Amino acid sequence: MNKNIFEGFDFTILIVTACIVTSGLFAIFSATFTSSADYFSRQLTFALAGISVMIFISYIPPRIIAKGSYFLYVISLVLLVLVLLFGKKISGSKSWFSIGGFGIQPSEFAKIATILAIANFLSMTEEGYRNVNRVMIFFKTCLFIFIPVTLIMLQPDMGTSLVFLSMLLPILFWAGLSPYVLFIIISPVIVAAGAFLGISYFIGAICLVAVLLFMLKKNIVITIIVLIINFIIGFSADNLYQKLAPYQQNRIKAVFDPTTDPLGSGYNVIQSKVAIGSGGFWGKGFLEGTQTQLKFIPEQWTDFIFCMIGEEFGFIGSLLILLLYMILIFRLVNNANITRNRFLSISCIGISSIVLFHLLINIGMTIGIMPVIGIPLPLMSYGISSLMSFLVMMGIGMSTYRYRNQY
Amino acid sequence: MEQDKKKYLIFVLCSVIFFLLGARLAYLQLFSSEELSKESDKNSVKTITITPPRGLMYDRNGKVLVDNKPSYTVTITPSMFDTSKLQEISSLLEIHPDTLIKELKSYKGTNRFNPAKVKRDVSFKVVSYLAENKDHLSGVDYQIDAIRFYPNNFRGSHAFGYASEISSKQLEKQIGDYYKQGDIVGSSGLEANYENYLRGVKGYKFITVDVKGREIGGLNDGMNDIPPVNGSDLILGIDIKLQEFAEKLFDGKKGAVIAIEPETGEVLCFVSKPDFDLSLFSGKTDPKVFSALLNDPEKPLFNRVIQTKYPPGSTWKMMMSLAALDAGLITTTSTIACPGSFTYGNRSFEDHGAYGNINVMRAIEVSANVFYYKLGLMLGIDNYYKYGKMLGFGQKTGIDLPNETSGLLPSRQYLDKRYGENKWTQGFLVSLGIGQGELGVSPVQMAAYTAAIAMNGLYCQPHLVSKIRNTADNTEEIVKYEQRRIDLPQKYYDAVKKGMYLVVNGNGTAKSIMSSDIELCGKTGTAQNSSGKNHSWFVGFAPYENPKIAICVLGENEGWGASFAAPVAGALMLKYLSGDNYNTDGEIKIVENARD
Repeated sequence: MNKNIFEGFDFTILIVTACIVTSGLFAIFSATFTSSADYFSRQLTFALAGISVMIFISYIPPRIIAKGSYFLYVISLVLLVLVLLFGKKISGSKSWFSIGGFGIQPSEFAKIATILAIANFLSMTEEGYRNVNRVMIFFKTCLFIFIPVTLIMLQPDMGTSLVFLSMLLPILFWAGLSPYVLFIIISPVIVAAGAFLGISYFIGAICLVAVLLFMLKKNIVITIIVLIINFIIGFSADNLYQKLAPYQQNRIKAVFDPTTDPLGSGYNVIQSKVAIGSGGFWGKGFLEGTQTQLKFIPEQWTDFIFCMIGEEFGFIGSLLILLLYMILIFRLVNNANITRNRFLSISCIGISSIVLFHLLINIGMTIGIMPVIGIPLPLMSYGISSLMSFLVMMGIGMSTYRYRNQY
Repeated sequence: MEQDKKKYLIFVLCSVIFFLLGARLAYLQLFSSEELSKESDKNSVKTITITPPRGLMYDRNGKVLVDNKPSYTVTITPSMFDTSKLQEISSLLEIHPDTLIKELKSYKGTNRFNPAKVKRDVSFKVVSYLAENKDHLSGVDYQIDAIRFYPNNFRGSHAFGYASEISSKQLEKQIGDYYKQGDIVGSSGLEANYENYLRGVKGYKFITVDVKGREIGGLNDGMNDIPPVNGSDLILGIDIKLQEFAEKLFDGKKGAVIAIEPETGEVLCFVSKPDFDLSLFSGKTDPKVFSALLNDPEKPLFNRVIQTKYPPGSTWKMMMSLAALDAGLITTTSTIACPGSFTYGNRSFEDHGAYGNINVMRAIEVSANVFYYKLGLMLGIDNYYKYGKMLGFGQKTGIDLPNETSGLLPSRQYLDKRYGENKWTQGFLVSLGIGQGELGVSPVQMAAYTAAIAMNGLYCQPHLVSKIRNTADNTEEIVKYEQRRIDLPQKYYDAVKKGMYLVVNGNGTAKSIMSSDIELCGKTGTAQNSSGKNHSWFVGFAPYENPKIAICVLGENEGWGASFAAPVAGALMLKYLSGDNYNTDGEIKIVENARD
């Protein structure tokens, strides 16, 4: 044990995290100081508690976490089942337990447990690492994610399901999946997106995929099969789209043209764009945002918190926040790279991909380039479960740095 | 692939994502900022609360008693107000800057975005100044409100009551959250009692405004607006001419007048003097004015019609007569000896004169005290209480005004509690027999009691409002009030009424008010007052057959009932019954040498 308790302490993550959480608190205060509910004090209390938890976790040796990971994973699955049976329905989905006045979201807890379980699965064997390029290992890895995703889909919570899926490819990639397989997985997504945009995009996407597949020079039979599958997916994309719930369809439509539904799902997008845009370079000043203060954007202290930053602190403030997140993600990826501990390394990649995905979707949604999918801005949005789970993740990120030399 | 390469691939991917987000932010905040700011500026939605005009009050013949008139109210929206303009505004509105600041600071939270009413009833000059300087006075605006207006040359202060700006205490105490700072709320009299009818329901209009507060247009073409519902009108039993005359007669006096239509209980006039100018309260009341009224030793805010409790004096004798008749102590023809005085224990009780052996009608006519001293003793406290209660004493009449007193009707229980069991003597009953001592009645109780006698036992709950008119569909709702029958044999009422007839038309205490046209009936009374001149009572009804009006007049410190209250009541009854033929120019002559 090191004499100096700060030996190997990841100050970068700690400071950046604290900055982001503090900015979030300012934004929550501004969004809610006229409201009767005291969101600010609650968030502050849990932020302080959460940061302590984060520091504590950064000291836990990886083998202990790894050992407990399967257990945590099972527990989280049980909770996800229980929430389906006994959970509280809030805005259409059954994803909350109400305990002592606080809403607890088991899916937030499941995120961490799933990352850890996969990381453990891909690192722990006697004869070396499990090779994700082997079919069984590949499918088992996927299964770790698909089980919670299925349970969360049943709530139904589309946004969180996507968050789980978002970490799959980065983890597989980091764990050594061949780029060819990776591309086979990605290609239908590209094709489907193309198909959704229109026939010319669809043809373009198919061609792109075909060229890339042939360039990778693998088995020609498999390549052709993959192309055929892509064709089918492309043609059925529209069909799939029709199967989405109308509100989900509207949200996707509203991304491309918010004015199609200015008072429905497009409303938030229009209003948040106006809020952020009207902030200009310097912003309107703390507590001075007319859009946010006049409550144009409903529940802006949760998913639309970035509007507050954009409107009141302007381009400078928004860029600063983006920069903080960028430092955080780069630091996490860097930690994943330098550590010799494969369990922590994979965990770190899972964490950074989740943070990045949240960021892309959440900020993208407020500035009108992503559909309105209800997921919070990491460490900033009001919400105790989300805040705590991200702080725990940062704790794991910090421990990755501390134990970088432990196998 | 080497891990380092993977890392760089991820870094590149992340950088692309961050670049995309950053570029989009730059597009929105740097290049579209101006356009979006305009969007944001005009985007502010202001909620305009539309307070409907309060319902009006009409008299029994459809004449307006309480009206509205338009007035300009200056509003300031705190969130938009430029405090450097404070001095300018404060001198314009003649409000001290500190007061203005304090006022604006009291609007917290989202209230900061709504206009606060800072001064009501401003002149047109102020309004035109505001209109001309709108551009540099951001957040300052005016609106047209309806305020109360009293078109007649009488006051009716205590009946109509006032509606004024809601106090912070009232705001806190309200159930629900209908009222907001700056709202007008009925705080006394009918304005308070019928608040929910008079006020109507507030409406809301949503308009989009730019940052300077200039209206850009309605939100969503006014589709979301909620129209207000106008207040309902009250139709009162008050007779404008009678009310005016009664107030004139009481000019400079203290006391109360209430007249009732015996058949229905509708109040024909309602006067409590001294009174106050209701228009002082329309809108924001100057605290100085209010505290001056509150601390005035003459108590102008006190509603003497329903809140005073004085001993009724001899006006109580009808109640004693009915009680004694029904309890079987006397008959309508039996007589009691009435020498000039009565001795109980070692105390002597005086009378105005010696009347010999007289029956109950004669006893009322001459107001023979000895007759009732004796009846008091014979009746006993339990019957005293029982019949008192029956005739509506010791309880509220239920008139539709707030804060009515129950008065004081002593019971055995009350005396035991007050003096201790067996510590009080039958001697109490001697005084109580002639309506003196520990007995308190209000003018409204007396009027209702007199009306009940006039109606041979039909006791109607007195009330000011007879109908409520819904102004939206012009339908009228007849307000239901209680009526009960005081079940005593008709001949008892006949005897008592005959006595009251003789008071005026025989050789009675109020023969000075006898009229050749209309047979007035009544009874004088004098409440002994240890702290000043006695109080003058008169209760009466007319005509003798088929009565149309019952009245109670109380003159504080006016001495004998016969000298002040009787002539006032007589004039009012005649005025009401003869209409415009009655000359109201003459003054009331105080009757000298009156007895009781």
